[in-house]
Amino acid sequence: MSHPSRSGYWVLIVLALAVLVPLFSLLTQGNSSDVVGLNFWQSHYLRQVLFFSLWQAFLSAGLSIALALLVARAFAHHGAFPFRSLLLRLFGLPLVVPSIVAVMGVVSIYGSNGWIPLGRSLYGLNGILLAHVFFNMPLAVRLLLPVWQSIPPHHWQMSEQLGLNRWQQWRHLEWQALRESLPGISLLIFMLCLTSFAVVLTLGGGPKSTTLEVAIYQSLRFDFDPHQAVSLALLQLGLCLLVAWGSSLFHKLPDVEISLSNTPLNTGIVGRYMNTFVITAAVIFVGMPLIAMVIDAFNNSILTVLSNPGLWLSAGLTLLIGISASTLSVLAGWLLLSTSTDYAMLGKKRKASVIEMLGSVVYVVPPLVIGTGLFVLLAPHINVFEWAIPVVILINAIMGLPFVVRTLGPAMRQSKMRYQHLCENLALTKWQRFKTVDWPLLRKSVGLSSALVAAMAMGDLGVIALFGTPEIITLPLMLYHQLSAYLIPNAAVTAVFLLGFCLSVFWLLEKLIGGKTNAEY
Amino acid sequence: MLSIEGLEFCYGATDANSSFPMCFDLTVNAGEILSLIGPSGSGKSTLLKLIAGFNAASKGCIKINGQQIQLLSPAKRPVTMVFQEHNLFPHLDVYTNVALGMNPSLQLTVQQNRAVDDALENLGLAGMQKRSPGSLSGGQRQRVALARALVRKHAILLLDEAFAALGPAQREEMIALVKTMVEDQNMCALLVSHQPTDALLASKRTAFVHHGQIFKIDETEKLLNRSDLTEINKYLGA
Repeated sequence: MSHPSRSGYWVLIVLALAVLVPLFSLLTQGNSSDVVGLNFWQSHYLRQVLFFSLWQAFLSAGLSIALALLVARAFAHHGAFPFRSLLLRLFGLPLVVPSIVAVMGVVSIYGSNGWIPLGRSLYGLNGILLAHVFFNMPLAVRLLLPVWQSIPPHHWQMSEQLGLNRWQQWRHLEWQALRESLPGISLLIFMLCLTSFAVVLTLGGGPKSTTLEVAIYQSLRFDFDPHQAVSLALLQLGLCLLVAWGSSLFHKLPDVEISLSNTPLNTGIVGRYMNTFVITAAVIFVGMPLIAMVIDAFNNSILTVLSNPGLWLSAGLTLLIGISASTLSVLAGWLLLSTSTDYAMLGKKRKASVIEMLGSVVYVVPPLVIGTGLFVLLAPHINVFEWAIPVVILINAIMGLPFVVRTLGPAMRQSKMRYQHLCENLALTKWQRFKTVDWPLLRKSVGLSSALVAAMAMGDLGVIALFGTPEIITLPLMLYHQLSAYLIPNAAVTAVFLLGFCLSVFWLLEKLIGGKTNAEY
Repeated sequence: MLSIEGLEFCYGATDANSSFPMCFDLTVNAGEILSLIGPSGSGKSTLLKLIAGFNAASKGCIKINGQQIQLLSPAKRPVTMVFQEHNLFPHLDVYTNVALGMNPSLQLTVQQNRAVDDALENLGLAGMQKRSPGSLSGGQRQRVALARALVRKHAILLLDEAFAALGPAQREEMIALVKTMVEDQNMCALLVSHQPTDALLASKRTAFVHHGQIFKIDETEKLLNRSDLTEINKYLGA
């Protein structure tokens, strides 16, 4: 291979246009004389929104990480826990479950008619924290567990031989492994909570519990004040860039893909009981909202909701958005990775990682910020609502790209490193190579990437809330409308329908595209 | 015959590999196996990659039976390379892995199908057509790779530490197979190995590669017993 593939550059150009043009439009609006004046920047409202955004993200991330440390440690120490691999897969569910569905689950448990009613206090900081911890604690467990798995078994044996107690083991083994990854993981969770939209929109209680993300939406859709939206979007972007810069200072994140089996450690009888208690409590916390929601869905409204043609139209639209965004994202990811892995093969590893990093850089730009930029850019020229579907597909495809790069990248790199020379030596043409080598080896990763992006796009509420109209309603938007109108029984049915729909599409795409497990030796 | 004249190459400064300039001159006769020994990073594998076309030389020429090939793409060079590992595609069975060498489109004629079967039989793999690489031993996998080399009928065979992962008995057996193949097909073979015993078994002549050059080329036994050359003694630990 003398020349690396150029396809990745085209992806980067399209990406730059799709992200930078809306950002540029925000910046130019931000500099225009029309933009909200000094009064807005000094206003109590902005201070309150900014404070609440940071405070709820700080608390959510702190709680999620603290609990995840306990749970991941229990999983790491209790390698023989019954159904361990099944439970760890359950902890992967929140990655696929739409956030609005999780909100419904939280309402089913902690709502006025729930199993543990919190009454009105659910709406506000309490509810937001519960939903964020439900979402992010399992993710943090999956990110933290590989850190424990990275401790060589010999170190555990050595520590036992030296007679180290639990505290000394924690201090000399576990903490040493964790301290490199913990800041990066914490900042990632902080960022996810800072940019969380659906949870705050539905569980936030008025101006006192509004974040920047929701304030942007309210400025555009309720206050019809694009200038205020621009100011808020720029502020949100600045915060995200600051957090991303902070993350980049720390050690890189471990892979979410974890080994589901583990060697049990000798933790003693008390330790085993403690671990069992922690894991059981965590499983109840994560599983209960989903179970409660499913039970709640079997109510008198079930037939009315399911026989409503609007539900099926929304399901069709949701599917269209999910599949289109996933196809675009995986295609773009494949082309991008073709270029980066070619550079890696030629020994230009820095160039390769820069290309992959540029493909993932959209991760720090909240979709609502891109959406706002496009809204502000297009609104004077066209009816933006008529372009809702392509815009929603495009933004969701862009937001899915970092996941594709992260999921498909390692497999593609490995395949190229192992077989590039062999394929060249065997004189395989590009098509022969794709058909005989690349596709069979990579389809599993392609299947997982497609399924992940499709599920995320199908569950998205942010961009569609901005661009949706009474005619263009996806399932998450329909669910949000039902929750806002306190049609809780209807919402429960829609939520379970959406959950089942997302999981089915995820499972189908993963199986259909992924095929059988790859052979390895 | 393979002849290499003034073949120059240098890795980029940022590359993890050595960045000293390399220059090779070498001739290998038809039907001969030439062993390449030398310290790690001395340029043995780089030389094979230059011949196969995976690395592009900055100067010099590579001739096979008088024809220059250094400007050809790897696919067009009459060269088969066997690596230390990952010679087989794990998702394809033994038969398909060998058939790929015959025709990458996998649309084989009756004669070609028979040739694949014959090659497998010659290498002691009869009846293993449907087996997956994952179910084979390390030695069997390398035999499959050799079977593919056999059906390709290319003039040059490059073995890049191809038997390094095998035990002594298996290595001996594989070398015997390669010798038969090379003689039967009148190939030129280059064998990179870290084991002087491999060179003794496989080659009449051996080249000692040092710091990006063919430092010394001689009859294998003589070369391995040269007590006057400190570089070779250092490498052999004598």
